[in-house]
Amino acid sequence: MTGLISTAFGVIYSIMAYMLPDATIGNPMEPKIFPLMLGSGTTICGILLTVIEGRKKQAVKETKKANGLSHDSKLIIYTCFVTLVYALLFERIGYVLSTIIFMNAMLFALNGKEKWKTNLIVAAAFSIGVYVIFLKLLAIPLPMMPILEI
Amino acid sequence: MDVILQNLMNGFQVAFEPINLFWVTLGGILGTIIGMLPGLGPATGVAVLLPMTYAMGPTGALITMCGVYYGAMFGGSRSSILINTPGDGAAIAATFDGYPMAMNGRAEAALAISAIASFIGGMIATVFMIFLATPVARFALKFGPAEYFLLMLMAIAMTSSMNKGNVIKGFLSMFLGLMIAMVGLDPQSGVNRFTFGSLELQSGIDFLTVIIAIYALGEVFKCFKDIREGTKKMQTKFGKIWITREDWRRTWKPILRSTPLGFLIGALPGAGGTMAALMAYNNEKNLSKNPEDFGKGEIIGLAAPEAANNASSVGALIPMLSLGIPGSGTTAVMMGALLMLGLQPGPMLFQNHPDIAWGLIASMVVGNVILAIVNIPMAGALVRVLAIPPKILYPIILGLAFIGTYAISNSVIDFYIMIVFGIVGFFMEKAKIPSAPFILAIIVGNMMEISYRQALVISDGSMGIFVGSPIAITLLALTIGSVIMPIIKSMKKSRQGSSISMK
Repeated sequence: MTGLISTAFGVIYSIMAYMLPDATIGNPMEPKIFPLMLGSGTTICGILLTVIEGRKKQAVKETKKANGLSHDSKLIIYTCFVTLVYALLFERIGYVLSTIIFMNAMLFALNGKEKWKTNLIVAAAFSIGVYVIFLKLLAIPLPMMPILEI
Repeated sequence: MDVILQNLMNGFQVAFEPINLFWVTLGGILGTIIGMLPGLGPATGVAVLLPMTYAMGPTGALITMCGVYYGAMFGGSRSSILINTPGDGAAIAATFDGYPMAMNGRAEAALAISAIASFIGGMIATVFMIFLATPVARFALKFGPAEYFLLMLMAIAMTSSMNKGNVIKGFLSMFLGLMIAMVGLDPQSGVNRFTFGSLELQSGIDFLTVIIAIYALGEVFKCFKDIREGTKKMQTKFGKIWITREDWRRTWKPILRSTPLGFLIGALPGAGGTMAALMAYNNEKNLSKNPEDFGKGEIIGLAAPEAANNASSVGALIPMLSLGIPGSGTTAVMMGALLMLGLQPGPMLFQNHPDIAWGLIASMVVGNVILAIVNIPMAGALVRVLAIPPKILYPIILGLAFIGTYAISNSVIDFYIMIVFGIVGFFMEKAKIPSAPFILAIIVGNMMEISYRQALVISDGSMGIFVGSPIAITLLALTIGSVIMPIIKSMKKSRQGSSISMK
């Protein structure tokens, strides 16, 4: 799998590198040479990997097949989703509020609903703590809460 | 000679300023805490704590980072000893005998000897470094663009080929990293490359964002697998953390033997702390009169790799500081921190900013002393962090990672880039593609291309310039050697393997 994907990726990258616009000054190929070398390198690695993987598969037949998504894959997808929401809210509702939401979302998923008290405290303490440290100690302003302006 | 000592004295003056002493202590403690967390090592520590240093100015920031770097190394072995879970690769060797020692009721001695051995290893290695850094930097001043290109090529080729198990995947990782570095405006011709029409991508992908994504997000993703296990039982009450006279009599020689070994391995690109620690362990096992004691709580088996590990972490800073070329993932992150501060590591650093270069070296000495102090009497208090469930700590690491990226660029666009690279990091891990060559390539990628093109401009397009000087030929030979060696080795192995199975 890895081999095939890398080969395909290497070929596509090389084509894209070749299609890059020409330089207007000097040698028109200048900006393409290095990327072309990278594309070919990836393709070669991909082909080599495919050959090696093919050989191994003949020797050992694959026995394991994953059924459905594992617990950790689900958690990763969840984290990415929560981060997306976090990114969307970040500048709109300010650092403190968006981070409290983000931290709670993560803590409830990882730490469990039973420990909701700990989750709420940790999330609030972290958000407010970081905000104060950044603003007062490091002098880096973070997005403020709307209306209240704090 | 006198110049070195004088520079060093100036460096100490900088390091001993009260505020800098405070920073190195704070960095050390925070680094120790992150290092203790299972799966998170110095690279993550430096990446996550970077934002803390924004307002400190270059000297303070560097000194803090040094503390974090060292602290994470000390911390890594705490969790190896107490809960048999190494904080990072380099601390694996500390589980072999450290955990059995704790099981045998000698946790105090194990914690003490690991800190003592780390201290001695780090100290002696720093002395080596003081005398090596300037000559190496001076030598590097002779390098032209062709030699520089070859040097960078050698560094990442070695890192890629050191990848255990699969050299090709190491190189694949390197090519991917270089590709990321290509994104953005071509510095010489002004052509947009791989920006897909996005304005944000014109300035390139910030390597710090990628570093934080891979080392903070990616590592936390990896840890999700074990998160259900909950906290492991461990000893929380300790007696006096110290070793007996007998322990010292048996360990001082192995510590002294392992230090130069670790230092040399660390200075080589690609090898790093894990290999240094494992080699020191095997070395002592071979020298020992009763090798069967190793793995059952032999104190030498803990002292030797700890000394080698810390010595190698100092050695690894030499190519980064004096050549401007990092030799490992962790030093690549350190270099990222330097670049963020507007300092270009390399031979010129010692000429243009001697205060910073020597301040850093002096603060390594100071940091080492402070960490030994922190880690011996306070070890009992610090390891309580291990009792906090990782379920709470990982969200905090994530929160810190995001605030760090935001502080770099003041834009949420980087959140999306981080998600992408966090997932890339996770899939690379699943496909067993190592991350160190990837990170290294991202950092040196642009410099590599620029020196490649400069070299060709000088030679008027002739490739002959890459074999045009003895230095260039040597570097090229080493690069080719580092690529071919592991292939020959694995071919030999598979031939032996098939001949055995034939019997």
